[in-house]
Amino acid sequence: MIPLQHFLLIGAVLFSLGLFAVITRKNAIQILMGIELMINASILNMVAFGKYDKIDNTGQIFGLFIIILAAASVAVALVIIMNLYKRTQTIDPNQTKSLRG
Amino acid sequence: MDSVFTNYQILCFALTAITAPFLAFVFSLIFKKLAGAFGIVSITVSLVFSAILFFSIWQKQTFHFSFSWIKLGNVSVNIGILLNDLSVIMLLLVSFVALLVHIYSVEYIRKEALRYRYFAYLSLFCFAMLCVVIADNLFILYAFWELVGFASYLLIGFWFTKKKAVQANKKAFIMNRVGDVGFLIGLMILLSQFHTLDIETIFGAKGIIHSSFIHNGNWVSPFASIPDYWLTIAGFCFLLGACAKSAQFPLHSWLPDAMQGPTAVSSLIHAATMVAAGVFLLLRVSPLFNDVVLTTMASIGLLTAFMAATIALTQNDIKKVLAFSTISQLGFMVLAVGVKDNAAAIFHLSTHAFFKCLLFLAAGMVIHQLHHVKDDTKTKFDEQDMRNMGGLARFMPITTVVFIIAALSLSGLPFTSGYLSKDAILISVFEWASERGGVYWLFPVVISITSWLTTFYIFRVIFKTFFGDFKLPALINKKEKELHLHDPNLWMKIPTIILAVFCFGFFFALNPFSLEGSWLHHAFNLEPHAGGLLHLFVPIYINALSLVLIASAYFIYAKNKIVFTNHKSWYYQFSYHQWYFNVLYDKKLVGLILWKAKITFWFDKHIIDGIVHLSAKAILVLAEIVDWVDTHIVDAFVNGLANIVSSWSVWFKSVQNGKLQHYFIWMLFIFLSFIIYKVII
Repeated sequence: MIPLQHFLLIGAVLFSLGLFAVITRKNAIQILMGIELMINASILNMVAFGKYDKIDNTGQIFGLFIIILAAASVAVALVIIMNLYKRTQTIDPNQTKSLRG
Repeated sequence: MDSVFTNYQILCFALTAITAPFLAFVFSLIFKKLAGAFGIVSITVSLVFSAILFFSIWQKQTFHFSFSWIKLGNVSVNIGILLNDLSVIMLLLVSFVALLVHIYSVEYIRKEALRYRYFAYLSLFCFAMLCVVIADNLFILYAFWELVGFASYLLIGFWFTKKKAVQANKKAFIMNRVGDVGFLIGLMILLSQFHTLDIETIFGAKGIIHSSFIHNGNWVSPFASIPDYWLTIAGFCFLLGACAKSAQFPLHSWLPDAMQGPTAVSSLIHAATMVAAGVFLLLRVSPLFNDVVLTTMASIGLLTAFMAATIALTQNDIKKVLAFSTISQLGFMVLAVGVKDNAAAIFHLSTHAFFKCLLFLAAGMVIHQLHHVKDDTKTKFDEQDMRNMGGLARFMPITTVVFIIAALSLSGLPFTSGYLSKDAILISVFEWASERGGVYWLFPVVISITSWLTTFYIFRVIFKTFFGDFKLPALINKKEKELHLHDPNLWMKIPTIILAVFCFGFFFALNPFSLEGSWLHHAFNLEPHAGGLLHLFVPIYINALSLVLIASAYFIYAKNKIVFTNHKSWYYQFSYHQWYFNVLYDKKLVGLILWKAKITFWFDKHIIDGIVHLSAKAILVLAEIVDWVDTHIVDAFVNGLANIVSSWSVWFKSVQNGKLQHYFIWMLFIFLSFIIYKVII
């Protein structure tokens, strides 16, 4: 039986790596990959804590929801990146300032 | 009410009589060509209504109408009309003399370009004078008194291009102001004492003045009680006002200078009517005067009469002689008021108005005709100087005759009006002196001498002007026949002839030797004279010596049998220079005032201005300081705040730089801060 701490530790490491990628990468695709890592870290936590609910399995069910949502969000994000590229000929988020308020 | 007219009608008559000249004044300034006609018509209207008023009021009733005009606290100033015997006789006198002078002026002023102004001013004067006469209230009287002075100012300066005329009208105005101040102070004393200025209420037969008395050194009236010296002060104040207007010592010196105006004006204003206003005021307020004031008044009158008569002896200007004669005669009137014989004062005022007006008009005729000669021959000489005249009787018989009639009246010879009125005054002075005795015997002695001097100076004028040799032709190198000297035309002759008729005593008394028989004197004379020896004695000794003096004047000035060579003597010079009053006033008084003015000017410039400038500088320095504080502290604070806000805003703006990852870092930072904050707290 793998103890809960290991799951949480791996989740935290994954989350931190994802965060690091989101903050530091110069490529929108890599940022998207960082986001996927963070989502997966959270799914891992959900599933790990799910062992305490054997009757309803809410952790697992939430995990599935999040996987579906992540797939949808990746599709949307890729489209956004495509459009960004079409508009600015770059996918480096530091090169675009159109979010500026 | 035994009058044929109702009160309302009398009021209307009085208002018409005073309004007509005012309308003439206004219309004369608008329709300039008709000014003379307006003047004559309006004053005729005044005369007609004055006559109606005279015959309905004289010795019958007192008409009094007034309404409240100004209310100040418990003091109300009324405006209204008071017609009693004194008012109506003055009303008739003023309008009658004014009418004659208006007619005379038509010819006299014919060649003046600005004659519409002359008639306008003359109408203004008549309006003011009539208002003075019928004012029921000292306040209104004062207002029109000022207006009379102003009209006189305008008329003296009628020839405003002559420097002397301008100086003379300023002098007249300023000297009159001195008296006006006195009048005003007297007015205020009366107002505070009696709470009213109504003449009838204060001075009437049942007036408050009779119920006020002196008690324990206090002057007690129904309204107030003040120390008794205020009664004396009030009397002196009114006396001062009258002195200025009636040209009494020491404020007399404006009248001779006022002769710079047209002669017709001198005749109406500075001989017959306006100068009598001072005496009129004294008569109006006569119950106010106590013994001190009355004695002073008598002394002033006596001194003025004597002084002016001595000055008139040596003057060479024909109008100057008449001016000093006027001052002297006004002195007689003031003396009469001073010895409490108001009847004689009024009587002399009336008769004097006729004969002095006539003297001036006749002198004006001489001056006018000589002026024509001057213009015709294009020569230069002084047409008023008697040294250029002489023998004019041959050329101007009518002028000579009327002048002599007036002179006889002025000298007080029998059958003339002057005989009655002047002797009335002399007899009163004798009686007054005999009651008091002692030093008061000086009064009748001096006034008798003055009376003889009067005869002498006026006959000096006659003999120098109308008799003897005609000196002018030799002076300008022409022959007598080239001068075309003759009597003026009817415009000037008729008024003088009418006045000459009124110089006879028959109009004032049926028996021209009986003073008591005079209706005018009788009306005002409350205490009949004791009669007896004085009535016989005084006229005889005055007239006897007068005749001697006339004869001596004839020999001195017409025949040149006796020649005065002492023109350098001190008494001749003293008289010729008019007792040096002008010198005294010009050098000492004017000098003193100018000196004071210089000091105050220096004070003003260096001290007052200095203070002002210093304070201005102080304020400038203060302003600089405030300015510095404003820019460096207040503004700096505000600007500093703004700068802080703007720099913060720049910094916060940089947060939203549009870079996705920066937003993310910020989100992370804030989220972590929140977590850390929650953990710590």
